[in-house]
Amino acid sequence: MSRVEEILALINHVPPFPKVAERVMELIKNPDVTAAQLAEVIQYDQVITANVLKICNAAYFGLPRKVSSLDEGLVVIGHDILKDILIASSSARFFKGKVGVGYQLEQGDMWKHSVATGIMSKLLVRHIKDVDPGSAFTAALLHDIGKRFLSSFVADDFERIVAKVDKENCTFIAAEKEFLGVDHAELGGMILEKWEFDQSLVDAVKEHHNPKALEKEPLTALVALSNSLIISLGIGSGADGLATELHGEGVKRFGISLDTLQICMADLLAEMERAEELFSI
Amino acid sequence: MKIIVGISDMKISNNPKDTLITYSLGSCIGVVIWDPAVKVGGLLHYMLPESKLDRARAQQNPYMFADTGIPALFKDSYELGAVKSRLIVRVVGGSQLLDPTGLFSIGKRNYLIMRKLFEKNKITVSKEDIGGSVNRTVSLDIGTGRVLLKVSGKGEFEI
Repeated sequence: MSRVEEILALINHVPPFPKVAERVMELIKNPDVTAAQLAEVIQYDQVITANVLKICNAAYFGLPRKVSSLDEGLVVIGHDILKDILIASSSARFFKGKVGVGYQLEQGDMWKHSVATGIMSKLLVRHIKDVDPGSAFTAALLHDIGKRFLSSFVADDFERIVAKVDKENCTFIAAEKEFLGVDHAELGGMILEKWEFDQSLVDAVKEHHNPKALEKEPLTALVALSNSLIISLGIGSGADGLATELHGEGVKRFGISLDTLQICMADLLAEMERAEELFSI
Repeated sequence: MKIIVGISDMKISNNPKDTLITYSLGSCIGVVIWDPAVKVGGLLHYMLPESKLDRARAQQNPYMFADTGIPALFKDSYELGAVKSRLIVRVVGGSQLLDPTGLFSIGKRNYLIMRKLFEKNKITVSKEDIGGSVNRTVSLDIGTGRVLLKVSGKGEFEI
């Protein structure tokens, strides 16, 4: 089996994405859905249930008393926050532990980078029309899922990859592709495909390092832009550093200026504090 | 004690047992100052060049911007007895994504405004490690003034 075949075979062993999130998302589409109906589905996933309760009881909501039942919690948080909790709880399990060692990421860095990118996408989505904020958050949160599975292969070829990036001033992802035959964005797209996510999300993950991503579909542009800003800020970054390429002028088609981007960067820090609980999910 | 300086943050110390450290500078810039006579040092990690972007926020957190953070860093060190002419100044960071269109030039802008401020105030930079597309982690040992720089994919060295 060739190297690339070995990597691609991994996809068959990727655990499934929790179904609960998908079923709840479907239920939420009905505006008359009750907390009891949602709780009926959610209660079977212990991780999501625990996170709903944890987040309801976080300082952010400032509730006078402790929420201890799922029904009660679902009334408190509202559907938008519930969606974020669902997707974050379902995704976190893939990013926990020492999963990014090949990229020289410390434990927790990959999750931190993912959540920060998710939060940035929610700040930027206000400026990009025709993108559903829920899809933006999901795609941004999962954009580096390929790294989770490519990490150990990157570790094997680390010296060669870093040397190429350094000597040729190329992108890290180009070096991944050259030495491993597949890069983490491609692999991530395949994983989302296997998980049966919408094609727009698959594309956004697959194209998030495409230098021309800002000229593509709005969701793809949004994820690439969010990721680039978080990389610039060095949040949860590893050996790949800022060695990625994005043709920035593409943001002009959305009417976004450099000042808008800088304001989003400034807003990010406060938003990250507000969303502190998401990092510990 | 190890004191962590976050993004848009600054710390000053005169305790020789302290080490100030800031992790993962991308386009942000870390300014490290140290006065060997009184062993007072400071580390600033600013994110954006100019406070005119958002005056209210700059007032709330001056360390977010170069033009408010750098004066605050020097001023606070003087309060602990540092003297401008003795301060050793080292600067790192200001990396950039690869962007041939030049829009994502925050690292470069962060650097240029710092140089302008330093020129105006006659401050000399003794060492710098700026630009490229790497991540940097920098630390200052208050007791010795030793500054360690870790560059992504390249290891750690003293500057």
